[in-house]
Amino acid sequence: MSLRGAAAIVGVGETPVDRFGSKPGEPRKSTAEYLSWAFRLALEDAGLKKKDFDGQGLAAIYTANHSQPFWPEEAANILGVSPAVSLAGGNGGASAVSLLGHAAAMIRSGVVDLIVVLAAAAPFSEHGRSRSEPADTRDFEMPFGVMGPNSKISFVTSRYMHESGMTSDHFGKIAVTARYHATLNPDAYLRKPLTLEEYKSSRMISDPIRLYDCVLPANGGKAYVIASPERAKALRKPPVHLLGWGERNNASAGPRSNADPLVTGVRECGRAAFEMAGASHGDVDFLGLYDDYVPIVMLQIEDLGFCGKNDRKFFERTDFTIKGSLPIQTGGGMINCGQPSTTGGMLHVIEAVRQLRGEGGARQVAGAEVGLVTGLGAVNYGKNFGCTAAAILGSGI
Amino acid sequence: MAEPAKQIPKPLPEITPVTQPFWDAAAQGKLIMQRCGDCRSWVWCPRPACVECGSNKLEWTQLTGRGEVFAFTVIREVVGRALRGFAKDIPYVTAWVDLEEGPRICSNIVGCPIEKVSIGMAVEVVFENAAQGIFLPKFRPR
Repeated sequence: MSLRGAAAIVGVGETPVDRFGSKPGEPRKSTAEYLSWAFRLALEDAGLKKKDFDGQGLAAIYTANHSQPFWPEEAANILGVSPAVSLAGGNGGASAVSLLGHAAAMIRSGVVDLIVVLAAAAPFSEHGRSRSEPADTRDFEMPFGVMGPNSKISFVTSRYMHESGMTSDHFGKIAVTARYHATLNPDAYLRKPLTLEEYKSSRMISDPIRLYDCVLPANGGKAYVIASPERAKALRKPPVHLLGWGERNNASAGPRSNADPLVTGVRECGRAAFEMAGASHGDVDFLGLYDDYVPIVMLQIEDLGFCGKNDRKFFERTDFTIKGSLPIQTGGGMINCGQPSTTGGMLHVIEAVRQLRGEGGARQVAGAEVGLVTGLGAVNYGKNFGCTAAAILGSGI
Repeated sequence: MAEPAKQIPKPLPEITPVTQPFWDAAAQGKLIMQRCGDCRSWVWCPRPACVECGSNKLEWTQLTGRGEVFAFTVIREVVGRALRGFAKDIPYVTAWVDLEEGPRICSNIVGCPIEKVSIGMAVEVVFENAAQGIFLPKFRPR
């Protein structure tokens, strides 16, 4: 089933992010407070009331710090909504983009015509909560001192540099571009301009990954509302249409015990999204790429087919700023706007909506009509991302 | 050097019926992995059935323990409470080692200064006693 035009985003909400709560005396907010706040902001943006969601759809994304098996129900209970359909985002940072497709399929099938997708996390305020790990991580990575995604993406990056010849200059260009966009975004957390030299002299966390390669963990909540095209017409903001979508989980480029870690599932889900949209690369006005680490942004640009694998020259000659030929991370990305656990994946969807409505202010991509966003989640043993999703959004159909 | 007042434990594998043979062999200084009796694919990490063809005819098979560093990182900071026990080891090397037979294993490179570790470096397995009955397969230059 094609989901092209099946649904449109009609409202978005983002709380400010913060990093409070881990030190004595700092203000603490719970996951529930960020969730409720983001919901309220999305309703205001869409011009909807809480009651509009009774008998409609609600999706909630599991987070690392607040997980229990019926989280979507707890979310509905916190908000006081009685959904006819509850969806769970179980794909980590890919969930926000995955749920675009899942929600659109529910809407196209006619079960509901309105779904709110919610995510919130307070890792600094709720840091005492225990978390569980996949068995591979628990049994075959942690006993060797593998420090979670920092280490695992370092493996990928070390191999990427070895095979492609990419250097800290290439990674730094991406980091500097994203920060430049953050300086234009009043909602970004890190807004001080970053120079290439500052990037290159930032401390090593897990060679070759530096501090400024890494996402910024934060507390926060985000939400979007997606509706049938008919319902969308009657609401206050211009609808942002789903044109193409794809999801690919547990991808393995090669044997599962010895895969190519430089190829992600974005190759498959990106192709699916382009096919569904009937779009070509030249139609895309900007990219919002899941950015828990800088080098991963580059692997995705390759896997989406904007250049070949290991194409150093492409990264050297392309202007990725909002004035350039391929704008990326137009609001600064998660690296500069913060990653409240799996809530972070909502950022690029919400930024794409702002761009496609022309609400980008100083960071607006002139004439933006089509944007592509991705989500990534989980880092599988010996490979890269377990969960991947891509969506193409547009201001028109 | 004085011992820390309180030793912070490192995380240990949770041994399950699926992984038990691997850890039993490791305790005897042998590196074994599952191989599919039908499609002959290697299966790693341990699984209840072949992740390539679905067959449940998996056979634990001994490997030479020889391989090459495929990728590596130098750990310089602890992330997360569960891993605080590694703080005293920093900096240290974790690596993906591609074994001669094909599978990729995640481990540490030991017995080698960290600045000498490189992609393509030839290594061999060595078992380190991490706790009562638990031996971790690590790799040293060969």
